[in-house]
Amino acid sequence: MSDRPFFSNLKCRECGRLYPKEAIHICEFDFGPLEAAYDYDAIKGSISREAIASRPQSMWRYRELLPIDGAPTVGVQVGFTPLVKADRLAKRLGVKELYVKNDTVNYPTLSFKDRVVSVALSRARELGFKVVACASTGNLANSVAANAASAGLTSYVLIPSDLERSKVVNSLVYGTNVVGIEGPYDQVNRLCSEIAGKYGWGFVNVNLRPYYAEGSKSMGFEIVEQLGWKVPRHTVIPMASGSLLTKIYKAYTEFAKVGIIDEQPFSVHGAQATGCSPISTAMKKGIEVVKPVPKPETIVKSLAIGTPADGYYAIRTMKDTHGSAEDCTDEEVVEGIKLLAETEGIFAETAGGTTVACAKKLIESGRIPADESIVLCITGHGLKTQEAIHEKCGAPRVIKPSLREFEALVADELAALETPQPSTLNS
Amino acid sequence: MAEQATRLWLMYPSRLITRPVIYEIGKNFNIVTNVRQVSVTDEIGLVSLELDGEREEIKRAIAWLEELGIKVEPVEIQTIEG
Repeated sequence: MSDRPFFSNLKCRECGRLYPKEAIHICEFDFGPLEAAYDYDAIKGSISREAIASRPQSMWRYRELLPIDGAPTVGVQVGFTPLVKADRLAKRLGVKELYVKNDTVNYPTLSFKDRVVSVALSRARELGFKVVACASTGNLANSVAANAASAGLTSYVLIPSDLERSKVVNSLVYGTNVVGIEGPYDQVNRLCSEIAGKYGWGFVNVNLRPYYAEGSKSMGFEIVEQLGWKVPRHTVIPMASGSLLTKIYKAYTEFAKVGIIDEQPFSVHGAQATGCSPISTAMKKGIEVVKPVPKPETIVKSLAIGTPADGYYAIRTMKDTHGSAEDCTDEEVVEGIKLLAETEGIFAETAGGTTVACAKKLIESGRIPADESIVLCITGHGLKTQEAIHEKCGAPRVIKPSLREFEALVADELAALETPQPSTLNS
Repeated sequence: MAEQATRLWLMYPSRLITRPVIYEIGKNFNIVTNVRQVSVTDEIGLVSLELDGEREEIKRAIAWLEELGIKVEPVEIQTIEG
């Protein structure tokens, strides 16, 4: 181990000014976002494929490239989710090599948010915070509540007061303090920002944002390692604020910077729901200024951010890698969820359906060539957004407790199964 | 009332891009404004702005901006996530 710290500073993404590694997130000069900066030369001397492979299977096996000073103390088992070779889905989409990065089974709250929260809370502890907080409509709240509970930190979760009861229960169960706030989102947003400034709490996506956001890189590191230290030629990523997309790009480039892989060509593509698609709309128009969506209207609530904080950077990243953005209707989202479930046995939340549906469009239009490797980032479990597909998966067929009725019901289906299919005859 | 500095993003619709809104804030309210970053296209104007003044005065100015049709966000932009 080198004596030089791997994680060196916070740095403004706009002007490049350096800041100390504190709970700050905005450049004092131009209000640009701060980002973690590293001493890549020092890391190069410490990290290797062998060293990584010898460590426990969690996101922390890439700890040199994550923004904490010591060992992680929160969420030590998070990450290293399966990269599934999705041959049946590949066949349906007409492509050769397709993988699903399956964060529906991320530990402990079944979404990729556990990655960002475990980094934010580990850093919060290093900085001496006793209370952590977030404002969220779903996955982030669940993850903060669960990870804070297991770490013995007091947590506050702020939610819009009209949030569905089912979503609130998934946070309440961990004993967190849930506060519902009345009023439109803009006002809730400003209040959260004021609370974060006034109370000296660790707000994971406000004053701890530079640490929080870096956790997303672990998804990119894992993809490269699980592909045999290769970067996929195409990665399709859902976009809410746009942060995940920029961080997966950062992961791929950092692995090359520290000598884990050689530089390889790759493209990152972004997916949104049409009912809230400010980034995809700007990208398609060829502009970099993202026009806010005042009233998002989509079933994909976890991506429904009308004023995406990292929209500009996501567009730049897609352009730099010759990637593209796409969006899809709510009907296409549901079809995407069902397609992934029926072909690969993976039940994704609506953001996952968005990724699948947009990937399909990118492939059909030739923006992703059929003969190149593709990874789809699936970020949360379908049990969290079941209401989106109620009434859309059919219903069970009900019979009396009689064998005759059962046989009548399945007769045609069994006959079809017994008829040899051309493909089985040839194999 | 306590003095405070508030940092905001203002997002103008195209019809307001030619209006001197920041000058009007200084004239109509007892607030000092300081522009940090600006980006204007045909469709939208984005301004990052620091406002210094009493909390209640700043709240009144924000209400006035919203009434004009300007979207006002904290510099954190999106504190509520999915």
